[in-house]
Amino acid sequence: MTTYIASRAFRRQAGLWAATLVMLVFILGPILWMLDSSFQGETELLTRPSHLLPQQPTIANFNYIFTGAVPQGLNVRGTLRSRISQEAREVPAALENSAIIALTVALVNVALGALAAYTFARLKFRGKSLVFNFLLGTRLLPAIAVAIPYYAIVSALGLLDSYLGLILVYLTFSLPFTIWFLRDYIISLPIDIEEAAQIDGCSRLQLLLRIVLPLAAPGLAAAGAFAFMSSYNEFLFALLLTQTISSQTLPVILSSVATNPDASLALIATSVVLAMVPPLLFAIAFQRFLTRGLVAALGKG
Amino acid sequence: MAGRESGYAYLTLLPVLLIMAAFSLYPIGYALYLSLHREVLTDPLNNPYVGFQNFSNALHSYYLTSSLVSTAAFMAMAVPSVMIFGLLAALLLNEAFAGARILRVAILLPWAMPAVVSGIVWRWMLNGDYGILNSALFQLGIIHDYIPWLSQPALARVGLAVAHVWREGPLAAIFFLAGLQTISPDLYSAAAVDGAGRVAAFRRITMPLLRPTIVIVLIYETIVAATTFDLVYVMTGGGPADATSLISWYAYAEVFKFLDLGTGAALAFLIALVLLAVIILYLRVLRSEERR
Repeated sequence: MTTYIASRAFRRQAGLWAATLVMLVFILGPILWMLDSSFQGETELLTRPSHLLPQQPTIANFNYIFTGAVPQGLNVRGTLRSRISQEAREVPAALENSAIIALTVALVNVALGALAAYTFARLKFRGKSLVFNFLLGTRLLPAIAVAIPYYAIVSALGLLDSYLGLILVYLTFSLPFTIWFLRDYIISLPIDIEEAAQIDGCSRLQLLLRIVLPLAAPGLAAAGAFAFMSSYNEFLFALLLTQTISSQTLPVILSSVATNPDASLALIATSVVLAMVPPLLFAIAFQRFLTRGLVAALGKG
Repeated sequence: MAGRESGYAYLTLLPVLLIMAAFSLYPIGYALYLSLHREVLTDPLNNPYVGFQNFSNALHSYYLTSSLVSTAAFMAMAVPSVMIFGLLAALLLNEAFAGARILRVAILLPWAMPAVVSGIVWRWMLNGDYGILNSALFQLGIIHDYIPWLSQPALARVGLAVAHVWREGPLAAIFFLAGLQTISPDLYSAAAVDGAGRVAAFRRITMPLLRPTIVIVLIYETIVAATTFDLVYVMTGGGPADATSLISWYAYAEVFKFLDLGTGAALAFLIALVLLAVIILYLRVLRSEERR
């Protein structure tokens, strides 16, 4: 009897691990293959069958992107030479643009979002539900529906091809979610301490800064992480509102590297690997907050 | 006291409201204006009011029909696959074993990176000449010739759907996991005492209690699939032969390739209306489910 149960438990464990392995291969396989490709030379990538591991691993692709030194395999006359995509050299600058824009959006989201969310969570005032529903309602329109008007208004403000133009647009995309998420977070905090402090003569702003924000720190981290990721990942508006490398973000540069039919596959892979680093670090660092945040978001949706 | 409080309330909301009004009310109004006027960029000075002409143009366009077919074909594959992947992954994540903890970190990764990146990653996986998938299938003897995945209409749709599942499935999994965790373990122990097997417990406990989560995730994933754009842009550019020219890609092309802002805006409103109708329909179903 015990061996029967033990073997059943064992088979169950084995089944679970097998299923996990299949999932991990599907999830991580493409990412690892991209990483693998970025360490292969162009000639090695253009072989059949593909090399599962680089036989002559090289950092020449990374070297080209950062210093402009042409990789060995491409340093010959003829067709390979023409496959060097100049755009790939813009990846570091685009990485910087993306990071500055996404970080600014995340910080402003947390600051303005917390200010507004606390008001929605704890205060009573006329027009509260109207304002709140207006904020959430703005998110119902699909992005493509407002693309042209956004272009028009950003252009009218003279903010085309600038950080500020993209930052303002991304704020309007992320603020409603941040406010709604933080409002629920603050509502779930115990109100007793606030009431005691209020009797001691604390103003609303003092309550928010000294009591609520420290308690809501995990919520603020999650909200900031979401705002960062959605801005870092956004493509359509970045495509429309930027023109030069002074403001073009990573998705724009990557798409132009990758949709060039002659582009070097090794350089595409390397560009993508560089672009993956920030969100992957972010996802791993904020894993707990993100999962909890997503769960909260869905529960109320 | 109350007066001072509402003063504080309005002051704290002011910055947000200013940004939101400028960047949402104005664009919506302007889009409405565009949709009712002739606005073709190749003929910029000729902008008469045309009533619903743009809407009629959009509705009667050959490309609308073909893009709706492509969108429907894509959604028919992508949405159920995302749901099934999400549910299976969530059941795994909900198990108490070390694998679940590894999977919990890994599963966030595809979701965390830009859709453009997922598109490029899968374009390279599915590359017809040097892609790893062809190479693997060929070496395993499953295929005898490399398959040009993204150059055949039917296969390109499948390829796009696979990339979509890779990117969206993880999010669905996290949502389903949240739903699973609200189900009390007592129910399962009680069922086990009554002699119910795992399959019976899944059918009689898990599925009914997970139903509200399923509906919400279904709404969300339907909208996401219906408005897929980034993946199309980098993976296929709408091709081959318009097979992956989904509705939002078509709306984009109408504006930025055909330069017809009026028809583009009308089309955008039509898409928004259909999506709203879908949301309302789902919410109705959800509510009647809850009443049962």
